[in-house]
Amino acid sequence: MSPKRKISLSEENLIQALRNREKIAVEALYDMYSASLYGVIIRIVTEEAAAEDILQETFVKIWHSFASYSADKGRLFTWMVNIARNLAIDKVRSKDFKNQGKNQELENNVTFIDEQRNTVYNPELLGIRDLVKTLKPEQKAILDLVYFKGYTHVEAAEELDVPLGTIKTRLRMAIQQLRKHFNE
Amino acid sequence: MKDVKAYIESGILELYVLGDLNPEERLEVEKTALEYPAVKAELAEIEKTMELFAEEHAIEPSEQLRGKIINSTLVNLGDDRIFTKQRKHSDEEEYEDDKVITMPKRTQFYKYAFAACLTLLLISIYGMVNLYSQLQESNTQLATLQADKTKFANQVNLKDEQLSLYRDTNFRIVRLKGLPKTPAASMVLAWNPSTKKVMVDMQSMKLPKTDTKHEYQLWALVKGKPVDMGVFDNAAVDSAIVKEMKNIASAQGFAVTLEPKGGSVNPTLDQMVVIGQF
Repeated sequence: MSPKRKISLSEENLIQALRNREKIAVEALYDMYSASLYGVIIRIVTEEAAAEDILQETFVKIWHSFASYSADKGRLFTWMVNIARNLAIDKVRSKDFKNQGKNQELENNVTFIDEQRNTVYNPELLGIRDLVKTLKPEQKAILDLVYFKGYTHVEAAEELDVPLGTIKTRLRMAIQQLRKHFNE
Repeated sequence: MKDVKAYIESGILELYVLGDLNPEERLEVEKTALEYPAVKAELAEIEKTMELFAEEHAIEPSEQLRGKIINSTLVNLGDDRIFTKQRKHSDEEEYEDDKVITMPKRTQFYKYAFAACLTLLLISIYGMVNLYSQLQESNTQLATLQADKTKFANQVNLKDEQLSLYRDTNFRIVRLKGLPKTPAASMVLAWNPSTKKVMVDMQSMKLPKTDTKHEYQLWALVKGKPVDMGVFDNAAVDSAIVKEMKNIASAQGFAVTLEPKGGSVNPTLDQMVVIGQF
């Protein structure tokens, strides 16, 4: 399943290569981040063909608007994943996508994708299993809504019928929990 | 001095990393991060966590997608440097701006080629029309010249003929002189007794003008009797240089009388204008 040769650069070198518009930068960018971005995208749009389109749009956009990225403002991945998430959310909310009627019930999509991928990507999903166990149900719910369904925290507050402050705290706690998990 | 701890605890940094803030709030967070290292460090931690979280959820896209995406990203490699427009770390920006449409070069080429052909065609047509009208003009001139040439050749022939009358020793030149009534009148004719031809020199003719009801008639005097030699008009009316009259074998003289149109059987003697005798 893995490509013959994956290109990997340090984030610093990658940023430099992207600034210099080097071809290798695009390849490295793809090899280093496509799976992470695709994982986020497909959980939002739930449809493989649409997710592949969005992934392509994401890379084109990253490449073309790279001048606007500044390392001072944060990590490269943060900038990229937000581009991917916004494109995916725009797609899901677009008229023609809604009219397809193919998209799954939003409520179920995360579990649906994870179940669907279970057999194929077993090793990768082991981590998620552990991870999910470390999160409290309400923490998992808020992450799903905000991260994988593109809800704003305001929309999530309405959806879950809890105050805005609670949403913010819950989100922070969830991420704190993840932090602890990854630092173990 | 901000309460850094409370600021961090508020959860705003998480929303920043998730892209869930409006542009002003975002700027505020960026400013605070520059000011307080603790905030910057916390942001870095959150970012790292979310990246790891995404890595945990990573799904490898299908293998053939790699080439396709890398290629389509690089398609406009050469043009990318023109993207100088500053972009914010923004969620609202429109993606449309990024689409670079390259004009298909082949179509472009054919378009120009077609235009060039059309231009050449128009120039050719214009040139042809010009040439054609010039040719027409030349043809007309040539026809005129040829007509002139024929005319001159005819004239030369006539002159030659006329000259030959005088050179031919067989021709006898007869000068007819005016009578007392018409002293200014005169006329020259040539007579060849062997061929019996009689020619009147129209150009040297000096006879009074005739009216429309009369014309001149030439008479030969044969043994004292007038013989009709035919009628002719005044030189001003007849453009011929030399006019051939009726034939006669022998004559002692010639005379011209003014007669009614068509001529008379006998000359009207009191209307005689010129006479010449040997």
